[in-house]
Amino acid sequence: VAGEFAVDDGPGAAALQRVTELLPAGPARVETERRTWLDTFDWTLFRAGLLLEQRAGTEHRLILSSTDGTVLCQAPAPRRTLTDATLPGGPIRDKVFPLLGLRALMPRLTAEGTTALLPVLDDVEKTVARVAVDGPFTAAGATVPVTRLRVESLRGYDREAKHVIGELAGLAGLHAAEGSVFAALAATAGLRPGVFRSKPEPTFTATTPALTAFAETLGQLAEITRDNVDGTIAEIDTEFLHDLRVAVRRARSVLKMAGGVYDEAVFVKYGAELKWIGDATSLSRDLDVNLLEFGSGLAPSSVSERGLLSATDTASVQPFRALLERKHRRAHHALNRVLRSDRFATLLTGWQTDLAHPSSGGELATGPIGKVARDLLDRAWKRVAKRGSAITSASPADDLHDLRKRCKELRYLLEFFGGLYDRATYKAFVDELKRLQENLGAFQDAEAQWFLVRDSAEELRATAPIETLLVMGRMAHELRLRQEHEHAVFAQTWARFYAKENRARFAAMVAGR
Amino acid sequence: VKVLASYSIKGGVGKTTAATNLAFLGAAEGRRVLLWDLDPQGGATFLFRVAARIKGGGEALVAGKRDLLDVIKASDFDNLDILPADVSYRHLDLWLDSQRRPTKRLGLLLETLADSYDLVVMDCAPSISLISENIVRAADLLLAPVQPSPLAMRTLDQLASFAADTKGRTPPILAFLSMVDMRRKLHRDLIDAAPTGRIELARTVIPAAAAVEQMGLRRAPVVQWAPRSTPGRAYASLWREVTDRIK
Repeated sequence: VAGEFAVDDGPGAAALQRVTELLPAGPARVETERRTWLDTFDWTLFRAGLLLEQRAGTEHRLILSSTDGTVLCQAPAPRRTLTDATLPGGPIRDKVFPLLGLRALMPRLTAEGTTALLPVLDDVEKTVARVAVDGPFTAAGATVPVTRLRVESLRGYDREAKHVIGELAGLAGLHAAEGSVFAALAATAGLRPGVFRSKPEPTFTATTPALTAFAETLGQLAEITRDNVDGTIAEIDTEFLHDLRVAVRRARSVLKMAGGVYDEAVFVKYGAELKWIGDATSLSRDLDVNLLEFGSGLAPSSVSERGLLSATDTASVQPFRALLERKHRRAHHALNRVLRSDRFATLLTGWQTDLAHPSSGGELATGPIGKVARDLLDRAWKRVAKRGSAITSASPADDLHDLRKRCKELRYLLEFFGGLYDRATYKAFVDELKRLQENLGAFQDAEAQWFLVRDSAEELRATAPIETLLVMGRMAHELRLRQEHEHAVFAQTWARFYAKENRARFAAMVAGR
Repeated sequence: VKVLASYSIKGGVGKTTAATNLAFLGAAEGRRVLLWDLDPQGGATFLFRVAARIKGGGEALVAGKRDLLDVIKASDFDNLDILPADVSYRHLDLWLDSQRRPTKRLGLLLETLADSYDLVVMDCAPSISLISENIVRAADLLLAPVQPSPLAMRTLDQLASFAADTKGRTPPILAFLSMVDMRRKLHRDLIDAAPTGRIELARTVIPAAAAVEQMGLRRAPVVQWAPRSTPGRAYASLWREVTDRIK
C-alpha cells in the first residue's frame, strides 16, 4: 500500500500540523536534508529506470531506487558528494558500475529542505503506519518549493495504512502526486531527465528551403557543443571532449557542403573558425584515447592474445604512461585556455546568430533541401568510390587515411539527410558504411599510436630504463601487426561495401525509390 | 538466513529479554531481522506492542497452508519484524506431530524466509519436546541463558545431551549467565568457576537490573532506550559474541 500526495499550499510544517490534528500520532522526527541525485551526463541510470540519490542530514545515506520511487537498496554514505571514483563498494556500486561505461557520475540535481517522519499510532501506541513529509524542498537554481506527503505502510498493517491514506485524501490542499519528488524538483529547475542529445535530430523535409535545413542542424550542433564545454574543461569524463569534438566536426562537414547556401563571407569565416577549434581539440582527444588504451591494454587484440601489454609489462611501461599523463595535462591546460578564450566565446555566439539564425543566404538558400541533398550525397559517394577502388595492398597509409575522412563526410551527410530517406534502406546502407569505417578507424588508430610510441621512445631514450624501451618496442611491433592486419582485411571489407547490392541500395535511397 | 534460538529448558531465566534485545541490535546494524515468538505466553510479542494473534491460527501456519510473510508484523523499528505468538501455540507439539517429517517442520518453514530476512531470532517456550527438536535442527546457534545456581547449571548438561541426541547436525550452544546479582557471593563464585560441562559459556554476564524489568512497562528493548546502561552494554557485548559465531 502506498500513497503519495502533493501539498499545494503552505509549507511542510503546516501540512504536518494538519496531519497530527487528524490522526493519532507520536512525535515527529524532523531534520534538514540535502539531497543530490547522481547520474551521468547522458542520464545512463535514469534511462535504465534508476535514480541514485545521496542524502545528507543527520545520517548520510545513498539510496538506489527505481524511477517510480521504489527503494531498491540503501547504504551509508560519506559526507562529501560522491563520484563514480568514490562510490563505496557494495550492492549499489555492483548494480550501477557496469552501466556507466566511459561516463562519470556527477551531481545532476541538488535540493535542500526539511523532512519529517510522523508515526501513526494505534490504541496501544504501536506504530501502524508512517507519514513522511518531504519538504518543502527547493532545487538548486529553482524558486518554487516542492512538498510531498507520503504514507509508508508497515508489514502486516496494510489496512491501517489504507485508512490513513483515506483520511489524508480528504484533507484540503492535498492531491494525489504525479511522478516522483525527483521529477517534480527537476521540473522546477528546468531540468529534463533522460533528455540527452549527442547528434542533431533534424526535422526538415525534402521541400524545406536549404538554408532553413542547414540552419536548424547547425543550430542543434551549436547547442551540443555548448552543452559539452563545462564538462570538457572540468574533465568530468572523456566523453565530453569526444562529443564536443564530434559536434564541431559534424558542423564542419555540414558547413563544407553548404557552399552557395550561406553567404560567402559567413561560409568562409566559420569554415576557418570551426577548423581552428577542431584542431585545438585534437591533441587532448588523442591523449585521452591513448590513456584509455592503456587501461584496456591487457585485453586480447585482433592480432594477439596478449594484447598491447602483458600483465608483467605494466610496471616497466610506467615511465611511458607518466610521460603521456604529463602530455595529457599540458594538452588539457592548453585546450582549456582555448575554451575559455574570447575567440571561442565569439565563435559560439556567432555560430548561433550567423549559422543557426542567418538573416540572408547564398544563391542556393531558397531551393529545396531534397535537391541539395541528392547532389551532395552523389558527390560524396563518388569521392568515396573513387578513392576506395584505387586502394591496393601496396597503397600507402595516407590513402587509407584520406578514404577514412571521405567516409566520415559521407556518414555525416547521411546523418544530416537521413530523415529524407526510407528508414530501412538508410539503415542497411549506414550499417555497411559503419563496417568499412571501423576497419579504416582501426587502421588509423594503430598508425597514430605507433607514431606516439615511437616519438615517446625518442623522448624517453636518455632517461627511461631499458626495460621501458623494450616494452615500448614490443608495443610498436604489436601496433604494426594490427595495422598490417587491418590493411590486409581492407580488400575484403571494401569488396563487401562496394558490392553491386550495396551500390544499388545507395542509388535507390538517394533517388527515393 | 541465519537462525538464532534463545532457548532454555527452564523458564523465567531471561530468554525473552535476550531474544528481544539481540534482535533489536541485529536490526540496528542493518540486518533484516525477524523475531519469531514461539512462546504461547507471547512476552516478546507484547514487548513490541504487537497483538498476540495469528490470523487463521497457528495450525495453518505449521501445516504450510498459510504463508509466513502474511502474518508477520512490522515492529516500530527499522529492519525488525515480528512473527507474533498465538495462544494456540500451546498445541504446537500436536500439530507438529501430525506433519510429515515433524522434527524438521520449523526449519522447512524458515527456508521460505531466506529472501526476506538475514537473521531469524526464535524465542522458544521452555520445555523438552518436539518443538525443541525442531529448534535444535533449525538453529545455527542455540543461545542458552542460565541463572547462576548449581541446579540451573545442571540443565546445561541436559541441554547438551538433548542437542546431541537430536537427529541431524548439532548446532553450537552458547550459554550465558543471566540475572546475575553481583551482591550475592554465590553468584560471584559461580562466575569465577561456572561448571558448564560440555557447553561453552559466554564471557558476557547479564546482570539482574531494574532497567531490564522496566522493559515491560516501556514496551521496548532496553538497548533501544538505555543503550549505555549496564544491561544495555551487557547485551551489546553478548551480541558481539553471538555475531562472532554466526557470521
